Amino acid sequence: MVDTLTFTEPDIHAVLDTMSDADLDALGFGVIGFDADQLVVRYNSVESSLAGLSAHRVLGQPLFTTVAQCMNNFMVAQRFDDASAAGEALDVTIDYVLTLRMRPQRVKLRLLSSPSGAHRYVLVLRPQ
Amino acid sequence: MQSSLEIADEYEALTQFLYLAPVGIVQLSIDGEISLLNPVSAQLLMPLARDCELSNLFTLLEDVAPDLRYQTEHFDKPHGMVCDALRVQLNAGGRGVSDPPVLSLTLLKLDHARMMALLSDVTTQVKREKLLRQNEAWFNAILTGITDYALISLDASGRVNDWNPSIGRVTGFAREQVISAAYSLFYPSDAITRDRILDRLHEADTNGWSMDDGWILRADGSRFWGSAVIVPLVDRDATPQALAAVLDTQEESRYCLIVRDITDKREATERYRLETQCDHLTGLANRRTFFEAAELELARFKRSPRSLSLILLDADNFKGVNDRYGHGAGDEVLKRLSSVLLTTFRQVDIVARVGGEEFAVLLPSADLDEAYNAAERMRLAVASQSVEVAGQSIRFTVSAGVAAMDGDIAGLDALMKYADAALYAAKAGGRNRVELRAEPLADAELPLA
Repeated sequence: MVDTLTFTEPDIHAVLDTMSDADLDALGFGVIGFDADQLVVRYNSVESSLAGLSAHRVLGQPLFTTVAQCMNNFMVAQRFDDASAAGEALDVTIDYVLTLRMRPQRVKLRLLSSPSGAHRYVLVLRPQ
Repeated sequence: MQSSLEIADEYEALTQFLYLAPVGIVQLSIDGEISLLNPVSAQLLMPLARDCELSNLFTLLEDVAPDLRYQTEHFDKPHGMVCDALRVQLNAGGRGVSDPPVLSLTLLKLDHARMMALLSDVTTQVKREKLLRQNEAWFNAILTGITDYALISLDASGRVNDWNPSIGRVTGFAREQVISAAYSLFYPSDAITRDRILDRLHEADTNGWSMDDGWILRADGSRFWGSAVIVPLVDRDATPQALAAVLDTQEESRYCLIVRDITDKREATERYRLETQCDHLTGLANRRTFFEAAELELARFKRSPRSLSLILLDADNFKGVNDRYGHGAGDEVLKRLSSVLLTTFRQVDIVARVGGEEFAVLLPSADLDEAYNAAERMRLAVASQSVEVAGQSIRFTVSAGVAAMDGDIAGLDALMKYADAALYAAKAGGRNRVELRAEPLADAELPLA
């Protein structure tokens, strides 16, 4: 199951919640999980090596104001706020540019949240 | 000797330092290609990216700061500040945000090949400064360099109701010419409207004063560069009864208008205005000045509805001119177009460059017909002349869309959408034409410029 989990997997949110840290590290895309207070609670090794930051520098930090300021606009952060305010689930994939190690890098972001889920996620896929 | 582990750790700390920096930092080539940028840059620039591309800073900012490439190309020093904390207006508001977002941009040329840019969101700061500026202007007006001034008392509708010799001394008008005349008498006819006379009185009531710099007319038709302040004479803390008594008597002096000749300061204030409020290539109002002035006109409209029209216009096939004759020729075309705009429209109209080859004209107290006629005059004037560049004669045309404000239009954004849709119809209809208000297309249908 875990080996075959892809970026586009339908209902990925529930699966992510049940995965161990080691399982997350084995995925082929970056995973950033955060809680209702927007503090980072999960950070897999793919994301860590893309960004050039160890997990300990990121875990427990607020996502949109310190870890990923580049997503703090209406295209990403606002979507999580809107979904949460409306009590709706969010699962959209958008094209975006991240500044990984300060170099502009086109990526696909998948934004996941559900009113019931414990964590929200940003998944980061770097095109091959 | 540091171990490689320590070096890796330091490198990581440095990386995070840049990730955390609360301002946008970008390194770019001299023609705008981005090589390095930190997260805040992406946060601020992504909403401007048309096709999810953060590759060229000039392209990203083309719609909101169209003269950056020109400024960089014409910066003749080997290194130094190309622009320092330039204020860039992003849009008219919208997206649920109440204040129009404003970016500050600093561009530093490092050498012949490289530049660095600094970006930050200064929206709240701009708002604060605006208030401070008003206070400063007021103190400036009363405290500095008063050699002579005309003291004119006005009634509730802005008519002069008392004579004093300073009026004759400064403006040359005689008692019988000014008594009972509206104070617009002291302004060139295209610099004020009937609505504006009352707007300024109202703004004086609301803010404590209303102030502007501009041409003042003398009795013999000559002009001088003046500063005019209107101050309400009613005590703002007066009891309602006392206030009502004053409001009832039209003959009573309600405002004081003070006019000063500031010709000697004109050069300095004009230089300041050009640097901060105007587009560097064309000298027209820049995008930020346009939105500020337009928001003020819209507020006046909302308080007391009157005619108000907007023309959006666009140089036809401008990319073709650039491709065929080069950017230099394109710049000449834009400069010529701008001078036609300035001679066609009134002094009271706001004429601005709002995008690469896009211009906007806001016409206070002009209805749809008047705006259409002015746009037609402008279109014909443009089509009837040509620009000479390097021995080549270039002819060009413009398309324009006209819309007028009414109660059904929510605000500036909506008014611009109507004019934009009309402009699109003019383009689709074969160019070199003026079209009237059209129904805006849904966002998804809008063509990318």
